[in-house]
Amino acid sequence: MYFKGINSYGDRGLVLDFGNETSKSISQEVNETFLNISNLNLPSLNIIPSFNKIVVIFENSKIRDQNKDKISMKMKDTNSQTNKKVTKTWEIPACYNEDFALDIKIIQKLHQITKEEVINLHSSVRYYTYYIGFMPGFPYLGDVPSQLITPRLATPRVKIPARSIGIAKNHTCIYPKVSPGGWNIIGQIPFDIFDLQSSYPSLFLPGDEVKFYSVSLSEFEKIRKYNFSLNELIKEYSS
Amino acid sequence: MNSIIITRAGTHSTIQDFGRFQYQHLGISPSGAMDQRIITELQKIIPNHQNQFLEFAYVGPSIKVKEGSVKICIGGNCNMSIQKNNNSQLECQSYKSINLFEGDELIIHNTIDSVYGYIAFEHGLGLEPCLNSYSTDTKARIGSINRPLNDEDIFHINKDVSSWDLISIPKPDLEKVTNFKVYPGPQLQYFSDNTLQSFISGVFTITNQSDRMGIRLKGESLISSKSHDILSEGILPGSIQVPSDGQPIVLMRDIPCTGGYPKIAILNEVDISRISQLPPETKITFDLQTIY
Repeated sequence: MYFKGINSYGDRGLVLDFGNETSKSISQEVNETFLNISNLNLPSLNIIPSFNKIVVIFENSKIRDQNKDKISMKMKDTNSQTNKKVTKTWEIPACYNEDFALDIKIIQKLHQITKEEVINLHSSVRYYTYYIGFMPGFPYLGDVPSQLITPRLATPRVKIPARSIGIAKNHTCIYPKVSPGGWNIIGQIPFDIFDLQSSYPSLFLPGDEVKFYSVSLSEFEKIRKYNFSLNELIKEYSS
Repeated sequence: MNSIIITRAGTHSTIQDFGRFQYQHLGISPSGAMDQRIITELQKIIPNHQNQFLEFAYVGPSIKVKEGSVKICIGGNCNMSIQKNNNSQLECQSYKSINLFEGDELIIHNTIDSVYGYIAFEHGLGLEPCLNSYSTDTKARIGSINRPLNDEDIFHINKDVSSWDLISIPKPDLEKVTNFKVYPGPQLQYFSDNTLQSFISGVFTITNQSDRMGIRLKGESLISSKSHDILSEGILPGSIQVPSDGQPIVLMRDIPCTGGYPKIAILNEVDISRISQLPPETKITFDLQTIY
């Protein structure tokens, strides 16, 4: 148990505190708690998990105060942690072709490794989805193998292509849309991971496990042309 | 069929409602009207507004009835007039329903000593919700219309006006507030007593680098005794965050979903609406509430 307590955040928010450290086991507790709190069906406006905090927002202080005890009780009731597993495990095709791997040479140079080694290392790990943030549907995945840990670009790119795979520090990510950003870009996936037409617009959810596998440019093009919907992607690439 | 056309979009005109909730954990901001007091008032005059309010800032839009007729009401402190089909000009007032007929053009010149104004339309604007809300986040391109309004945008309002009766309410008392009572932020302890004293006793100026995402303030530098870089965590509108230059930013409705700067304090909900109406160069002060 990393849970430290519940603090107020202004007149209508609460912060569930899981300390100041960050690790996969802390995130697992955060994300399990997130599901437990979500399942209480409180009249909250938003429940926002991150590395070691969960912020819960209510419409006003009265509703907040009425519901704080329910959250406290849930946190004390350790027997109730019988969460059925709702997170998914993904196998995601990734093309590390040089057309997409805009910054792979930076990583190669920093760690004195070949392009193939970068690809093998990046696709060898089952990543944990810490949380979704920065932009709609953007997954913070980690941790990358130590031989791939690379600082952000000194000068952020003005325009990162949609679907790009990036590495920054010990995290890897996928850009759902075209965006400015400072992550080192090493490849691209052949489909969208965020779709407003879908009832649940983000493909990945906090707690999901994600593994990449390398595909050729022709295979990438083949998948891209299917134009999978999020529901089709769930059937095709997750378990 | 009734329809209207935007003859001049104005600046920063968007569709907003009370906000898009339950999606911030997917990176989606709540958005919603900057001054929620005004759309709350407009509900009393146009109860069937369908949550499709037009928000504008500084320079208002001009709207012409293309077909049929519509009933609307304007909220906020605006300089405006109606150009009738027969070339006569009519005065009009906020918080009073207005009937517009084919060829009539509503011209909102600007907001007066404030920033945001609103138009409510009876039966809405014929829009479909996006993730259970009509609000627009122009940066993330999310909304019924996922961008600011443009000249020539046309809206179809299928239902006819229910009654031509003019309805008005007393002009709401939306007094201008420049002293804000704030609550301690989650990282209050990142700032020394001396810095907190500067925060409470100092005067901050609203800069023109302010928008629906945040209001940037200029004043005495609030340097953290610990760090200006925290691990990203969930944030809510009204939070006052302090980046490393020490100049605070009040986060507003199109909030980034998580943030990595320490938050010294947070405004209460109604003060978010109040501060949104203060034009650049307005001087403001803060009072820190210690018990809550």
